[in-house]
Amino acid sequence: MNDYLLPLLVFSPVIGMIMIWLMPKTEEKTLKQFGWIGTLMPLLISLFLYQQWLTGVSLSSYQIKWNWIQFGNLAMYDDTLYTIDFELSLDGFSLVFILLTTVLSMLAALASFYIKTEWKGYFLLFLLLEIGMLGVFMADNLLLFFLFFEVTFVSLFFLIGRWGYVNKEKAAYHFLVYNGIGSVLLLFVIATLFVRVGTTNIDALTHILNVGDVALLAPISPFLTDMLCILLFIAFAIKLPVFPFHSWMVRVHREAAPPVVMLHAGVLLKIGAYGMIRFGLGIFPEQVEKLALLFMIVGVISFLYGAFLALVQTDLKLVWAYSSVSHMGIVFFGFGTLNDAGLQGAVFQAVSHGAIAALLFFLIALLYERTGTTELNELGGLAEHLPIFSGVLLTAGLAALGLPGMSGFISEFMAFLGLFKEQMLLAIIAVIGLILTAAYTLRAVLKITFGKKTYSMTWRDVQGIEYVPIAILFMVIVAIGVYPMWLGQLVQEDITTWLLRIGG
Amino acid sequence: MVDNAWLIPLFPLASFFLLLLFGKRFGSRSAEVGSLFTFVSFICAAVVFTKSLHESSYKQTFNWLTVGDAQITVGFELNPLNVLMLVLVSFISFLVHMYSKGYMNGEKRISIFYAYLGLFTFAMLALVMSPNLLQLYIFWELVGLGSFLLIGFYFHKQEAKRAAKKAFIMTRIGDMGLLIGMILLFWQTRSFEYSVIFQAVEAGDISQSLLTFIAIMIFVGAVGKSGQFPLHTWLPDAMEGPTPVSALIHAATMVAAGVYLVAATYPLFQASEVALLVVAVTGGLTALFAASIAVVQTDVKRVLAYSTMSQLGFMFLALGTAGYVAAVFHLVTHAFFKALLFLAAGSVIHAVHTQNIEKMGGLWKKLRWTGPLFLIGTLAISGVPLLSGFFSKEEILLSVWDNGNYFLFTLALLTSLLTAFYMFRLFFSIFGGEEKTPIHAVKESPMIMWLPMIILAVFSIGIGYVQTPWFGTFLGDWLTNENSHHEFSLWLMLIATIVSGIGIGIAYILHRKSSLLTEGESSAYRVVANKYYIDELYERTMIVSTKAVSRSLVYIERYVIDGFLLVVIRITRMFAKKATKLQSGQVQQYGAIAFLSLAVLVVVYLVAGGYLR
Repeated sequence: MNDYLLPLLVFSPVIGMIMIWLMPKTEEKTLKQFGWIGTLMPLLISLFLYQQWLTGVSLSSYQIKWNWIQFGNLAMYDDTLYTIDFELSLDGFSLVFILLTTVLSMLAALASFYIKTEWKGYFLLFLLLEIGMLGVFMADNLLLFFLFFEVTFVSLFFLIGRWGYVNKEKAAYHFLVYNGIGSVLLLFVIATLFVRVGTTNIDALTHILNVGDVALLAPISPFLTDMLCILLFIAFAIKLPVFPFHSWMVRVHREAAPPVVMLHAGVLLKIGAYGMIRFGLGIFPEQVEKLALLFMIVGVISFLYGAFLALVQTDLKLVWAYSSVSHMGIVFFGFGTLNDAGLQGAVFQAVSHGAIAALLFFLIALLYERTGTTELNELGGLAEHLPIFSGVLLTAGLAALGLPGMSGFISEFMAFLGLFKEQMLLAIIAVIGLILTAAYTLRAVLKITFGKKTYSMTWRDVQGIEYVPIAILFMVIVAIGVYPMWLGQLVQEDITTWLLRIGG
Repeated sequence: MVDNAWLIPLFPLASFFLLLLFGKRFGSRSAEVGSLFTFVSFICAAVVFTKSLHESSYKQTFNWLTVGDAQITVGFELNPLNVLMLVLVSFISFLVHMYSKGYMNGEKRISIFYAYLGLFTFAMLALVMSPNLLQLYIFWELVGLGSFLLIGFYFHKQEAKRAAKKAFIMTRIGDMGLLIGMILLFWQTRSFEYSVIFQAVEAGDISQSLLTFIAIMIFVGAVGKSGQFPLHTWLPDAMEGPTPVSALIHAATMVAAGVYLVAATYPLFQASEVALLVVAVTGGLTALFAASIAVVQTDVKRVLAYSTMSQLGFMFLALGTAGYVAAVFHLVTHAFFKALLFLAAGSVIHAVHTQNIEKMGGLWKKLRWTGPLFLIGTLAISGVPLLSGFFSKEEILLSVWDNGNYFLFTLALLTSLLTAFYMFRLFFSIFGGEEKTPIHAVKESPMIMWLPMIILAVFSIGIGYVQTPWFGTFLGDWLTNENSHHEFSLWLMLIATIVSGIGIGIAYILHRKSSLLTEGESSAYRVVANKYYIDELYERTMIVSTKAVSRSLVYIERYVIDGFLLVVIRITRMFAKKATKLQSGQVQQYGAIAFLSLAVLVVVYLVAGGYLR
């Protein structure tokens, strides 16, 4: 069983895809239900894995390695040389992101009930996207990672371009160009490493490049290593995104359909964070240490820049989009601190922002469904007629601005704790951003819910199945905020390992 | 009981969830539900209080989070200061719960109101039990949330919306100071625990300059929460909330959290003279500054709000001059008489449906209960002998005098004078004289409203006797855990009494001339009436510059960042077009390209000797 669990997890959405594929494309209700059911299977498997972890089963026991591709026949030197295996593995760090993926996919599938056209194509792509995301977080070698990464890329391109708001095609095109460049850089790094070192397995690469007692076929100069590291980080910085690579993401958040944005903001941006930590810190620890200050500065700039821009947006979607830029800045500078507190903060912030952003964009879906607009100037006083929706929006906003007791606080707090240790002055400047965060969030939320009334009597409050995503996401947000240890324990061990590598 | 004290804040929390989820079903009975839970909380706090009179402090913690090799814990601690606050907060909260049943009668969203009150009470009780700074910070923000929600309770009012937002953001600016101080302390001591931090301070592990900086940063947090200059502007605006809320949050408990914070981290301040001086001067200036504004306000709640600021300034003045006991003592007495004054003011507003004192007058005969109760509060705050405010204020004056800073002492005396003056101005204009506008059917408030006021009045009179020069210094002994002898200085008492008497006298004379000091031509008057233009100053500096930065960044976003994006896209397109042209179908061209490419590769190989390294 252990030998098949991870591949089963990755490809379990296929069951849903087959079910949908067999249905005629006019069966709206059935297609939506099948789409949702398709996300249940991976959710159950991932919860089972979490439960196993809680009972003390070692996650590495699920690792699999199947022969896949071999270049040439170099068995006389080394069996593994120039081979690429189909290998998946799991540790606490990746389990966190897998759980995030499966939970958010299930909730986004529920939110997809608002999709108005072409349900068949939508849900096929949706489940394909989930396969990609799951694969990304389990792939044990760079090439496999890249393939799954491209799966998310392609499926997302169509999801953005076909089921969004007015300028969706343009947004999808920007997404394609920018992420395409990121992919090219990534592929270049992977190919170079493969040619020089003869493997793309992450553990092997880490060992060979850093311990260095293995003779390379074609040695890599320090300069080239630095370049590879920088290119890798540019690729992931585009994905995260950090200033100045963020503008494609703002467009996607504004134009794509809310369920797609839930996944995009909730999970896909985190691939950037995941990649930086796993591959950047794993394969290039020395170079990362040299770049740490740059990461912190760029992270703080992103944090402040996003916050300042969120303050003057007039569309709620854009407020949340720039808020994402700002929050990803926290991930970036938390990572740059390269200490326990900061790294833990970065991981926490990635998860926390995943849940909060998903909630905020789910609320956008609810809002747009009722009012047909997300323009701040056209909304006001909703608390009168939609008290529950307004209460939920306010609470979600409070989570986003880092109110203690919810996940945003603990992640921001730890990232700042780390930053203060390394760069006190920079941290004090960055603190301004926390005030701005409160300002832009309250400005937007209060504009919509408080004050002058603009509503129609036909709008109904939150009801029925809409409570499910709200309740689950709040549970996650509050659980992390009140008792962060359960998440901390999952990643603590991995963080210690990474920090040992940079000798700090 | 003592080891289960953590249950005390959980009762109001349970009330919050219950009312939030099932509020509709409870309807107007929400008041009873909320009051019952708070009452249980108060009883438990009282039991803990009686137990802890004899026991030393009690602390219990468990691990919450691991950061590297440091364990961050949560738990609760019961020391005299904490227990005192616990019983004070739960008691006043219970009384306000009771009172609100009458005041908020007929309000459609009464269950929400009581839910918010529960949330606030929970956070405030948890705050005063925190054994470490991080936990204090967590609940510090949550009381801010409670305050924010209740200020914005009448959400359809534009002013309420603005005031709620302002309160949240202004206090958050202060909170950032606390955050900075707290994190810096963590990296010095690897802990948020008070005990560990104090040990490190005592052992001199932290350099003097850093310690001063940290103490001042923590004080910035207190300044924000307690509405001290320069972060005070939110407090008067917070009066947009329902009046019982003003009594509970913006007079008796939350705003006093700043004083509590400085008191709880007092060893930090004691270790730095500069920090103490900053506390004293900020407190003293705010006391006088706020009192001067209170003199010309015409809104009864705003007068009381500025009075609160001023009295809190007094407490900081005491803290800054080593008057730890004096500050805590005044915190306690002030909580009672200010809550009484606010509730009485609420009762007046309830009767006449206006907050403008120019439209009031002659209510003494009509409000048989409220009038005398308001008078008791006024006498107490003015420092009239034998009431509670007299003793605590005298204690503060003594501590300032002993400190030897005559500038601060003058500030304190002036403030005392102004306090007596503006409070009696308020009292006379509401209750004295003739009815200015005929108000029909003015009815005294129901018993559910005046009963809590009577209880508060009893305490406003009597609570002072826990710390007097004549009967003993119980409070001080208990707080500092040692038998202190109290200096008795008759002359100080005389001066304090005379100063208050002068204030009352001026108020009376002006009242006879039926002048409210509300019209004036002098520029000095305009400055004070406009609250020294501080709001306008912030509007024109902080807000305008923030907006300017945002707007300029919008241009950077539009032209630089998006421009970059467009360039990238254009280059991609260009390459695509060029590449399309190469697909001509002519085999010769393909061959030429293949050959050229090979040539380039060979050259690279020859020059670089293989791969690029």
